[in-house]
Amino acid sequence: MHRSLSFETFRYAAILTFLALSLIPTIWMMSMAFKPVAEWQAAGANLTWWPENPTLDNFRFIFGESGSDLIVALERTAGRPILASLLAATFGTLIAMVAGSAAAYGLSRFGSGGNLPLALIQLRIFPPMAVMIPVMIMWAFLGLIDTWWGLALIYGIVTMPFSFWLMKTFFDDMPREIEDAALVEGCSRWRVFTRITLPIMRPALASSGLFVFILNWSDYLIALLLTTRDWVTIPVYMASLSSSMTGQLYGAKAALGLIAAVPPVIMGIAIQKQLVRGLTFGALKE
Amino acid sequence: MTEIADIPPPRTETPAPPDREAARLGFRLTLPAQLLVLFIAVFPICMQIYISLTDWSPLDGIPWWRAHELWIGLTNYSDLASDFRFWGALWRTLFVMLVCVPVQFFLGLGLAILFVDEFPGRRIFYSVLLVPMMVVPAVAGYMFFMLFQSGGPVNDILSAFAGRTVSIAWLSDPDLALAAVIIADIWQWTPLMFLILLAGLVSVPKDQQLAAVLLGAGWWRRFRTIILPRMKTIIIIALAIRVIENFKIFDTLYIMTGGGPGIATETISVYIYKVTQQELIWGYVAAIALAILISLSIVSAFAIARLRRGS
Amino acid sequence: MTETHRFTRRRVLAGAAQTAIFAGIGAPLVLRADRARAQAGLAEGMVGGPTGFPGAERYQYGPDTPEGRAIEGIRALVGAGKAPSRIVLGLSDGSIGQITQPFPEGAPSVKDLWEQETGITLDIVGVPNGQEFTKVMQDVSTNAGGFDIYAVEWNRLGDLAETGGIVALDDYVAQYRPEWDDPERGYVNGEQGVSLLNGYRGKVYGVSLDGDFQTWNHRTDLFNDPDEQAAFSDAHGYALAPPTTWKQHDEIAAFFTRPDDGLYGSTDLRNQGWGYTNWYQRFVSMASPNQFLFADDGTALINTEAGWAATQEYIDSLSHHSPDAISWSWPEQYGNFAQGGAAMTCAFSNLPKFLDNPANEGSMVTGKVGSHLPPGREHDGGLVRRTVLWLNLSASVSSQSEHPEAAYLLLQWLGSSRIYSWMTANPGGYFDPFQLANFADPLVRETYHDYHMDIVRESVRRTVPTINYPGATAFHNALDESLVAALTGSMSAEQAMANTERQWARIARRVGEDKLLEAIQANKAAWPDVIDPIGA
Repeated sequence: MHRSLSFETFRYAAILTFLALSLIPTIWMMSMAFKPVAEWQAAGANLTWWPENPTLDNFRFIFGESGSDLIVALERTAGRPILASLLAATFGTLIAMVAGSAAAYGLSRFGSGGNLPLALIQLRIFPPMAVMIPVMIMWAFLGLIDTWWGLALIYGIVTMPFSFWLMKTFFDDMPREIEDAALVEGCSRWRVFTRITLPIMRPALASSGLFVFILNWSDYLIALLLTTRDWVTIPVYMASLSSSMTGQLYGAKAALGLIAAVPPVIMGIAIQKQLVRGLTFGALKE
Repeated sequence: MTEIADIPPPRTETPAPPDREAARLGFRLTLPAQLLVLFIAVFPICMQIYISLTDWSPLDGIPWWRAHELWIGLTNYSDLASDFRFWGALWRTLFVMLVCVPVQFFLGLGLAILFVDEFPGRRIFYSVLLVPMMVVPAVAGYMFFMLFQSGGPVNDILSAFAGRTVSIAWLSDPDLALAAVIIADIWQWTPLMFLILLAGLVSVPKDQQLAAVLLGAGWWRRFRTIILPRMKTIIIIALAIRVIENFKIFDTLYIMTGGGPGIATETISVYIYKVTQQELIWGYVAAIALAILISLSIVSAFAIARLRRGS
Repeated sequence: MTETHRFTRRRVLAGAAQTAIFAGIGAPLVLRADRARAQAGLAEGMVGGPTGFPGAERYQYGPDTPEGRAIEGIRALVGAGKAPSRIVLGLSDGSIGQITQPFPEGAPSVKDLWEQETGITLDIVGVPNGQEFTKVMQDVSTNAGGFDIYAVEWNRLGDLAETGGIVALDDYVAQYRPEWDDPERGYVNGEQGVSLLNGYRGKVYGVSLDGDFQTWNHRTDLFNDPDEQAAFSDAHGYALAPPTTWKQHDEIAAFFTRPDDGLYGSTDLRNQGWGYTNWYQRFVSMASPNQFLFADDGTALINTEAGWAATQEYIDSLSHHSPDAISWSWPEQYGNFAQGGAAMTCAFSNLPKFLDNPANEGSMVTGKVGSHLPPGREHDGGLVRRTVLWLNLSASVSSQSEHPEAAYLLLQWLGSSRIYSWMTANPGGYFDPFQLANFADPLVRETYHDYHMDIVRESVRRTVPTINYPGATAFHNALDESLVAALTGSMSAEQAMANTERQWARIARRVGEDKLLEAIQANKAAWPDVIDPIGA
């Protein structure tokens, strides 16, 4: 392709402009996370882009080491919500991966469950808000309201379409010869699946799992409706970071936001290559 | 190398004559997924159909299964037909989609074209560009709320360019609030378009392009006649994904504006949330949900059928 | 549309929503003055209460007090094996501190004291501010049974009672005599105040734990600055002082509006869900003694000259507010005032306790806050100054609770004047003073400041209740949406009022008009009739 100087200049200029715009919110959040109370206010003349007196107070604050005991909002530290987010997202991912990959294998190898591809796409298309009333009633009936396992269950269901589609493309791609050879040697199909296929698929499982985890970790709406106190997740907890002393605790919010951004960013970079595949329900293969 | 899987498979080619063991295992393996789908579909749909025919609200003090005492037949559906807030929210949702998706598409495509071949710094730029879509949407909502304050960073930057103090009250003005919400969505999801389109671009075989170059085809011509046709499916997928997710838009928007000022940024999901949580007319919410479910099913079945025929 | 159809269905239902009646159990035992506790600092004749700090005896109680009877009742339940091991109280996040943080130096926390005196664990569940009603409705409608006690906005008591989700407390009130109407220590306006805050359709459903009488504050450093005073009187021909009329208020606010310095005239709420409290104040003072929202026959009175004028004023007042005000909720408002962003503000009565507070490092207005009565209007030689009661947490006993009597006794203990004065003095939360005993209490006056307490008490006498009928949420939403539409210019003042009137009529039909008329009249009975002399 082009290698002219003008094209290269244009390329870097365009990319850097875009990067700059795209990084503003992220940088603002990072800078806010290290600002002391006095610099939080985003008001005209006082607006500062970088913390003038950088501090770790915001991080200390959300974990309960408060400098001023008069900030009234913080009855619960961020520890528990972080745990809730971790548990719900991890186990949700587990449910989605187990049910999704098993079904994907069943369809890919034995042609079972021919209705699943479409059913799962429809499940993903439908706005979750519109079914929250029956879901709330079901969850209350089953005693799942405000539990991490209840949250994990619904997360597992709503992200199963992704694990299913992803793993299906991986299984479809896998050469059958190895499995066939094992079958000839007298292995049962179940044994072939668990002892041969799954170990080979480990990298695929890992990247699909990380992808599903990011989706679960990002949820706000479902946790808002299905948790009340013990197991509120990070995004829901964030709403309670406000105080009558200083208004919204922007610094604390940014600090927690930064913490919340870490797992998906690391995981996203780790599975960069497979990300495309995940986001397109496996329709694109790397 | 990137290639496109057939979407969706009409039914995967069944391996050899399916013996009984295979059929049984296949059934067992798909069972958990089937059960989970049934679990999340059957009761909610039945319950929604039932209460959508009633005037039930939790304020009535009777449990939902006794909603039949408030039977009103199809009244909720006829109310829906004349509910200007519902139609307004639907229109707003479509409007946001009609602005966001094309802008994301063209920005993403432009970026993808810039990234198609190797250049120094490509990997690191690529990784950094993906960061916005990894930020938890609720967190993005709080960040954009601050960014768009009248004395906030966005106006600060605009002031620097304009050379005078810009103090636009983004979130207090109905039109600008909608613009702010759209900007936030574009910020977060352009990387996704970029990612998918880049994968598509890379997948176009280099030898064909080379042949075209030898034939003297210019860049634009090559793009139009060789690259674009081969990317058709990928483009459709990218657009479809954004259309689907954009239709559900809630998290970032709700935290930034709560659907306000007034109802200026009220989308379908926000509207349903408000009717569910504030007005508490749940029979009506069920009717809205079913109407959406039915229309989405029709639209998606139609779209998928067309896609299948196309590929 | 079959509105009438709905209406009749709804009526049939009214009878179905029955609340269980629980028989009072346990004969009162005679409380024995505990010697060990007496040594720990209880004053002579007292049987319980906080100890360990100077003045603690003001919050201690004898056997024949509401607090004493509550503890006695609990002990009887414990003795009969009918008490729970814990009581779950759902409470907005920001209020919890007042129950869990010890105050003052040397004192136990309210929670510790309760647990020590009764042996019953008090389990407090935080609910994000503003989501109280949502969470309660989730609990009620899904039968989740997560709470013994709900604390919701007082306006929602009617709606909540209609769901059958809360218990009528009359039997317990009769048995344990909370003396809420005590003329020395009780609610302002006695019996009438009690029925306003705790009652719905003639029954007791709630126990008030708050005093959200919207109160005005100003910046004394600005108002007392000689340069400002001179500049103002030159421009307007009268002396700069806290305004007594809306006209003065708007002029002073305009005078202090200096966007380049980050200063605005006023920083009242203008957003959805909160903003209309200011509209209320402007509207209800349109006639003497009051401009009502509804006539006795249920006709809405807002789509009138008075409604249009109040709405127009409300829209115009945006010019002396921060341009972001429409998107701000109270945390942004408090933050803005703390940063010195405004000359005046109308807020919950706790604003000075939080912002005029040396411990608040984030506040730039410490020592610079003053309070004043709400602005008003002149009518027939008198000045009608009105403010509103809005939000105001009130606690109710869930009908899913297995121990409603114990839950009620906790509320009687918590909501009676001695314990409540002690609790409200604690700067750690949102429970605000509302009883006569609170306003007079030295510790409360210290936390809330002397200059503020007297203004609050006088503001209470000029306070109009907001809508607390069944359908309150829907009524307020309808008004709210139209007002925001007017603020953002998508409706004129006239259109906004006409639109509200139309929606109110629809809501009224849904609720059931008989129920509504009764509630409107009960609400009206609590409207104030204080008229101030002009120039006061």
